[in-house]
Amino acid sequence: MKVIKKEDLENFVDELIANNEKEVVGVKSKDSKYVFDKLENAEELELDYDVTILPPKKYFMPQRETLVEYETREGIEMEAVNEVVPRIIIGIHPYDLEAIKQMDKVFADSPEDDNYLEKREKSVLIGVNMKQISEWSFAGSMGTATIEDGYDLMLTDLGDRYAVEIGTSKGRELLERESLEMRDAEPEEVEEVENIEENIQNGFEKELDFSPQNLPWLLAENYGDEDFWEENAEDCYSCGTCNIVCPTCYCFDVQDFSDISLEEGERMRQWDGCMLEAFAEVAGGENFREERAERYRHRYMRKGRYLYNRFGDIACVGCGRCSSQCVPDIADPTDIFNKLWSDKDE
Amino acid sequence: MNKKDSPYLPENATILSVEKMAEREKLFEIELDSGEQLGHDPGQFVEVSVPGVGEAPISISSSPTKEGNSFELCIRKVGNVTNVIHNLKEGDKIGIRGPYGEGFPVEELRGHDVIFIAGGLGIAPLRSLINYSLDNREEFEDIKILYGCRKPCELLYEDEVEEWRDMNNIDYRETVDECPDDVCWEGNVGVITTLIPGIDIDLDNSYTVVCGPPIMYRFVLQELKEKKVPDERIYLSLERRMKCGVGKCGHCQINGEKEELYVCQDGPVFNYDNIKDFEEAL
Amino acid sequence: MKPEERPKAAFFDFAGCEGDQLQVANLEEKILDLLNIVELVSFREVMTEHSDDYDVAFIEGSITDSHAEERLKEIRNNADIVVAIGACATIGGINSIRNAQDFEKVQERVYGDEREHYEAWEKAKPAKAVVDVDYEVHGCPIDREEFLHVVQSIVMGREPNIPDYPVCVECKLNENVCAFERDEFCVGPVTRAGCDSCCVNEGTICWGCRGMIDNPNEEAHEEVLEEYGLTAEEVMKKFDLYFTWQKEAREDE
Repeated sequence: MKVIKKEDLENFVDELIANNEKEVVGVKSKDSKYVFDKLENAEELELDYDVTILPPKKYFMPQRETLVEYETREGIEMEAVNEVVPRIIIGIHPYDLEAIKQMDKVFADSPEDDNYLEKREKSVLIGVNMKQISEWSFAGSMGTATIEDGYDLMLTDLGDRYAVEIGTSKGRELLERESLEMRDAEPEEVEEVENIEENIQNGFEKELDFSPQNLPWLLAENYGDEDFWEENAEDCYSCGTCNIVCPTCYCFDVQDFSDISLEEGERMRQWDGCMLEAFAEVAGGENFREERAERYRHRYMRKGRYLYNRFGDIACVGCGRCSSQCVPDIADPTDIFNKLWSDKDE
Repeated sequence: MNKKDSPYLPENATILSVEKMAEREKLFEIELDSGEQLGHDPGQFVEVSVPGVGEAPISISSSPTKEGNSFELCIRKVGNVTNVIHNLKEGDKIGIRGPYGEGFPVEELRGHDVIFIAGGLGIAPLRSLINYSLDNREEFEDIKILYGCRKPCELLYEDEVEEWRDMNNIDYRETVDECPDDVCWEGNVGVITTLIPGIDIDLDNSYTVVCGPPIMYRFVLQELKEKKVPDERIYLSLERRMKCGVGKCGHCQINGEKEELYVCQDGPVFNYDNIKDFEEAL
Repeated sequence: MKPEERPKAAFFDFAGCEGDQLQVANLEEKILDLLNIVELVSFREVMTEHSDDYDVAFIEGSITDSHAEERLKEIRNNADIVVAIGACATIGGINSIRNAQDFEKVQERVYGDEREHYEAWEKAKPAKAVVDVDYEVHGCPIDREEFLHVVQSIVMGREPNIPDYPVCVECKLNENVCAFERDEFCVGPVTRAGCDSCCVNEGTICWGCRGMIDNPNEEAHEEVLEEYGLTAEEVMKKFDLYFTWQKEAREDE
């Protein structure tokens, strides 16, 4: 573990920005909220934020992304496209790092999706331990309040200094600058970081009443409880907000956009959501999840069971974005999961 | 980026011929511009690409045993991409990705009786296996084909059906839901399920392969149950809106209590026993 | 595309402000690109010529009396493809605010003592309430890019991508702070996306100019707005700006 003074970290970030080798992005404020965005200078960085509107996933799988360019003047010419901007991403909370680890598995699964993987590979992830905890977050229950790996560097605020944990050689190389004033952590500082991480565990207002390892069977057991899902989905707008803001949602739609000549254009993918009405519709109009309740159930099944079956992870990291941004306030996973848990013996 | 790296990049292909089969269906014969064979199994699908319009998943309708390098797609005019494909003609270019998915279990069916039940456009994916088994007739025991559509004018693959009618090494039966008075039709009139009671099924030695619209599955499966056909001896092919074809986009996932399946990778052909508990499957 | 293959297009205005045609006129240099794929035979905002020989008719404005109805039916007969552009033509628009009001008072307010000389329907209607409409370009005003996309799609023979999901999707993609989190209220959750949440991007709210999606959860949204402290009357006002005709049509179903 290393230690760096806060002003030295600021200088370091400014240097990275000036250096221009990689785009430097970090957490900035936007009105009363926070977003990951390009940094103009280190002062903009808000490392004591609670949660960002969108997760940093957008840097590896952008909201809208060109997959193929085509041209049809003579026959067809199609070319694969991947716009990779190498980035240093500063200020990722542990739950988002966990989500990125999960997405890495999804896109590395055969056949590999290089549009994601290449962007991911060319990025440096600098995590930060939470200083403020969103009132909607339940990362403590999901085991994602702190994290052992998945970052290149990990920062912990120690008042006038940051403790820096080096996760990978990519992280270490970033620190190899003559101008950077950094020293080894003292034993007390190592202990302080341990204490901070321990305290974070206890800082959550929301929690699951049980271990998330129970989710797969709990959801399977209640899959057929139609009344339960209908009741809870009654106020659902099918607006897809909970999907779009989720760090482990990765479904997408693909559409072609030609330019006005009609002879060239782009095939683009855009984030999609299983809560949207047409998501499971096929040509001809048959819709395999026509009811709000079916789509509502699907999201929970996917977070707590399906992706676990496929990739071995509970695909909810407890960030609380879905519940905090749901206008009718019906998307809180702890609410649904705890209800199912407390009803299980009935 | 290396072109080969993107699973989303189609290969160029050329339409060799177009044949109108019914009011909404055309048969397209297609060859990859690379000159290579598609290399598919019966029951697999491809993503057909019209730049500027998009992609649509289409079942491959020809058997891998078909001569030459081309393959066939029977396409119904039913959505954005397929409407535009219907305007294409011989010599036009399209894009192809695939073949994708799990096709029919040819190895498992070999040496057994096979009963094909096709409703409407369901004949298209089934034909890849029917023709495969006819081309390798000695590898299969009794072959029965039950084919139903709404009206005589909607019958697809008329020339081939004419041959099936006359073949003495298969049992071919057909039906239409309704027949207008002024149309000559010698076959049965009634829904496809009305053909099932009349056939003998050797329960220990036969497989039934079904393909058709969701509503047909419900009734056919009911009728097969009456006949005591074991669920694990039934195969069927499902339709979903597969956007990527490679298990990423999430659109074709179907859910059950215990498991989830991706039609594009685990299917489109499924053993009925494996999906019967899936509320969203049929 | 060869010049003689271009479909002939004509614009027609009914009750409305012509703001949508202005959007098209404001395409500026892109108008020239547009002319590569369609031949304009009638568009009074940019040209004096007029012809009744057209393939594609663009309809702006709502239909508010029997003269308009007849004229629109004639256009429908002449055209292969009818495209409604702008909220007045697609959902009745601002004109349909009066649909929920006392008609005599509405007439008096507009025509005063002269009101018996003017024939007007009690309710303003979108084009599709009078004739079959093939395509709709939503919005008040329409989005220029979306207009071009629809024209392109018509020329290519494909379906345009017109979303049937709420504005919330685009608003979140754009990482906006939700209006509800700014202590404001909007109808984005029931309004058709496709505008790239342009109003919220600029820090305001969604007023619903693209109309409700096909299957909105309007009851839930009314409840939610009340929970956020709006009175029933205020809630109705939120919905009345653009949704009056659609709401009635849904109730009649």
